[in-house]
Amino acid sequence: MSNQPLTLPKKPKSKLKLVKRVIVLIAIVLIYIWTFSNISIRWESIFSVRTLENIDRIIPRFFQPAFEETGSIMEMMIETIFIAYTGSLAAAVIAVPLAFLCASNMVRNKFLNNIGMWILGAVRAFPEIVLAIIFVAAVGPNPFAGVLAIAIGSTGMLGKLYSEVIESIDMNVIETLEASGANKMQILFYGIMPQVLPEFLSYAIYRFEIDVRASSVLGIVGAGGIGTLITFAYMNRNWEEVGMILLVIIITVTIIDQISGFIRKRLV
Amino acid sequence: MIEFQNLSLVYPNGTEGLKNINVKINEGEFVVIVGLSGAGKSTFIRSINRLVTPTNGALFVEDEDVLQLNGKGLRQLRTKIGMIFQSYNLVKRSTVIKNVISGRLGYTGTLQSILNIFSKEDKLLAYENLKRVNIEEKLYNRADELSGGQQQRVSIARVLTQKPKLILADEPVASLDPPTSHQVMKYLKQINVEDNITTIVNLHFIDMAMEYADRIIGMRAGEVVFDGPVSEVTEKTFEEIYGRSIRDEDRRGGVEDE
Repeated sequence: MSNQPLTLPKKPKSKLKLVKRVIVLIAIVLIYIWTFSNISIRWESIFSVRTLENIDRIIPRFFQPAFEETGSIMEMMIETIFIAYTGSLAAAVIAVPLAFLCASNMVRNKFLNNIGMWILGAVRAFPEIVLAIIFVAAVGPNPFAGVLAIAIGSTGMLGKLYSEVIESIDMNVIETLEASGANKMQILFYGIMPQVLPEFLSYAIYRFEIDVRASSVLGIVGAGGIGTLITFAYMNRNWEEVGMILLVIIITVTIIDQISGFIRKRLV
Repeated sequence: MIEFQNLSLVYPNGTEGLKNINVKINEGEFVVIVGLSGAGKSTFIRSINRLVTPTNGALFVEDEDVLQLNGKGLRQLRTKIGMIFQSYNLVKRSTVIKNVISGRLGYTGTLQSILNIFSKEDKLLAYENLKRVNIEEKLYNRADELSGGQQQRVSIARVLTQKPKLILADEPVASLDPPTSHQVMKYLKQINVEDNITTIVNLHFIDMAMEYADRIIGMRAGEVVFDGPVSEVTEKTFEEIYGRSIRDEDRRGGVEDE
């Protein structure tokens, strides 16, 4: 035992590392400057008298929400929730077979796994609002278009998350059931489902939470829900009603977040 | 009766799991396979229910060559062979009774089992088997609420619910403490004696092998290097099987808590 005080060994310094870091830093700064110079920010218009007047005129009206419209707004909010619910429920089901296709411990074929991944990736690349435009064109401007947009949009994310859940299960249980003479369907229902269902459900609820937010803007392109009201109120410069709609959305989304958080905590 | 005839297994990466094995195991025997890890004990035991597929030779289980079986035939054979694993392999989120009754899956139609319809006899059989391993009061508990020893007893009950002719156990006590290990081995021995079920157990503890086995098969590097009744086995035999002197870690020690 020595009495010398304990010291950390010196961290090795490398010139190369330092140079790399400086280059990365310069690159980031350059990209930043380049992008800024390209979007032509007009500072003078931000701080003009007209902007200040507009803010002064509009913002206070947001804070005097049109409570007399509560009934019709709530009605549309409920429609929004229905769109989100139907859409996420459909996605929660459609995502299951795709997830199994992607899971490398279920389908032992790299090529098929990749096909599944491509499908999910392609679906994820579309924002809901773009899907909504497509479906409004296909089935007309009604809530059904919204449901389809939500369902397809959510399938991409749920399929990916589900397949990760499937890949993390205890495969020893599967081997054990195999060793007892169970067939593939029985293994699915007795070995795989009990291991993945709670997580599947948890992710589906989480996705529903996101879908409530997503479906409240779908109406802007005519796919039903509260977004329709936002468009009308905005076009009429009826800022009190816009304020009321925002208030309803904020409260509803918060409540749903709380409930879904509570359920999800108890699930797994 | 189980008979290995010139059985060999070469894994795809070139490793020789089994080298020309010739062994006959009679009905009702309690056989313990000993050997260091990597000696081929697991491969030996897993060949019997074809969890691994030997590449050469023949392996007869009740006059059927398991190497020729596929699909339905293989599943039918597996219903008669119960298997116990080191890590218990219960579905942790399912109840104990659901885990035990899954031993009947091989005898139950696909649709019935998906709808969770089991005959009254099957349910009673599952309960009776839980009673045999003294864990019937945990019937409706989730499997993950049980201790390791309790989980292994549930997995024994699951295997019994298969009404097997043969029980294979792959390192059944490796994750348990000494008293629990003895308890599990005692249940296996008791079942072997009472039901006359042929039992083959992989162990690497020499004292447990000596205590419970009728017959010991020693393996090293994929070959059977010893095969004889337990009465012929001494510490010297183990030294020959292991190819080194016996150490403390080769003994489990301890006795069952009462």
